[in-house]
Parts: sequence; structure tokens; C-alpha cells
Amino acid sequence: MGRRDRKPGGNLPAIVLLGLLLFASPVAASPDAPVTVDLGVVVASNEGTTTDPALASIRNQLHSMFTYSSYRMLDRRKRTLQVGETGDFPLPGNRSMRVTPVPAKGNKVRLAVQIMEGERNLLTTTLGLSRGGMVLVGGPSHQKGVLILILSAE
Amino acid sequence: MECREARQKIHDLIDGRLPPRVAAEVRDHLGVCGPCGAEEAELRRAGDMLRLWSAARVEAREPELSALWTRVRAGIEERREPWYASYLRRWFWVPAAAVLVVLALLFYPSDGLEVPFRPKSFDVTVESIESESATVALVDKGEELPRVIWIIENGKT
Repeated sequence: MGRRDRKPGGNLPAIVLLGLLLFASPVAASPDAPVTVDLGVVVASNEGTTTDPALASIRNQLHSMFTYSSYRMLDRRKRTLQVGETGDFPLPGNRSMRVTPVPAKGNKVRLAVQIMEGERNLLTTTLGLSRGGMVLVGGPSHQKGVLILILSAE
Repeated sequence: MECREARQKIHDLIDGRLPPRVAAEVRDHLGVCGPCGAEEAELRRAGDMLRLWSAARVEAREPELSALWTRVRAGIEERREPWYASYLRRWFWVPAAAVLVVLALLFYPSDGLEVPFRPKSFDVTVESIESESATVALVDKGEELPRVIWIIENGKT
């Protein structure tokens, strides 16, 4: 007689709570919080008229910014870096990109970015972005087109 | 009616399972046949004693039976469900399935590279920019479009 039957729906509050926790918006990150760097490597050219489905969400922006007819994603890498930690991202054509989060205030991230081609320094810049912000770096030639790097920081 | 046939039907007569005409024939035989009448009387007496014994046992166990019935009634009351219980039972799998799908999406092994780009902002501050071997241009077409840092190598645009 000690054991009572479990009533249906008895776990419902726990499931609702779990759902709320899963969907709850993240609070603002602290200034020294790790930065997730998302790098998409795209080759843009006038060969063909296709846009990679992986770029569908920013297709309009790409077509508004550039006059190329074809956009193909070659690679995409994501790394979470501590402030002061450098992440190396290999690029086509003996190139590489080094990204280092540097101290920032508020909900901003600051990234020290360096693009090398062999021993040659193509670009050295420091960028300030909002978390979730995006910037494009383009121009280096690749095959019959150019590389466009989609750099995001979360 | 002969004795053999009458004795076969005594039990049914006592239990009231004979048709009226046959029962009357059996009773007529029992009235005129001493041994068959004695057997019928003996069977009736045995039946009465059995009934008395059963009644005595039930009376002796009445408190236990009463307690058992109380528990049964309490169980029936406890299992009486609210009006929405059947709906909950019927549709309980929907939120459970939704939670499972969410968990599967969250914990499915993935490096996140299939996730589409979802920029929240194109607001970028270029604090410093330089190049040893190329010309660098900053393209800004407004807040709705991403800023572009364009590297111009060997004078090619």
C-alpha cells in the first residue's frame, strides 16, 4: 500500500523548466570571456552563377557588396579563444590568418588580426566588434577568383 | 420411475433444476420408495449443514472482509481522475518529444560548421590597419551591409 501510482503529467513542470533553461537568453558576456571566432573561407569568381547553399543566409549581403557571380565556400573553422590566446587559421595559397582576442570593454570584442602569405605580411589590423558581429576581409587572389574571409566573433 | 433413474435426479431436484413434470415424477417415487426417500433426506441435511458452516466462516471473518472492502473503496476513490487527466495522458508525448528533439539538436555531435552565418551586427571599428606588401581599402556601404577590408595586391583590384 506504500507505493502510489504516478499520475500522468507529473513531470510536466520539470520539462517546462528544462525548456525555459534551454531557451533562456544568455546574459551579457564579461569583458574577459572567451571569444568564439568563426571563419568562413569563400572563393568568389565570375565563373558560373552559383552561390554556395552554406552562404544562403548572407547571400543578399554578398551580392550587394561585390559584383562576382559565383560564391563557393572552401572551408569554415570555428575556434574558441581566451583573451590573449592566438588562433591560427590556415588559408589557401600558403596563407594563414592569426586571430588574437585582446581586452575589450562591455559587450564588445577586440580582435588583433594578421594575414600572412608565406613570410609576407598581407594585413595587420585590430578590429572592434559587437559579440555576434561580422566583418569581411577580401582581395587575395585564388585560382580564377578572389578569397573573401567571413570573420565573426561571438 | 425406477430407483436408478430417481437417484440420478435427486441432486437436480434439490437444486430446483428439474422441469416441473419430471420433478413431480421424482417426488412421487420418493414418496413411495423408502430407500430413495432416505437418500434424498440425507442429501438435504448435508446441504443444510454445508450452508451453516459457510455462514459461520463468513461471520468469523467479517472484520477482515469489511477492512478489505474499505481498502477497495479507498483505492477506487484514489484512482478517480480529474477531467484533464485523459487529455494529459493522450498528449503527454508531445512536450516530451519536443524536449527530446531540442536535446538531440543541442547535443548532436557537430562542429557547428553547418550552422548558417547569422550576423547580429555589422558594426565594426577598425582601430588600426596596415600592410607591408599590399594596399588596403576599407569599404563601408552603410549599417545594413558588412564592412569589407579589401587587400589589393600588385595594384590589382
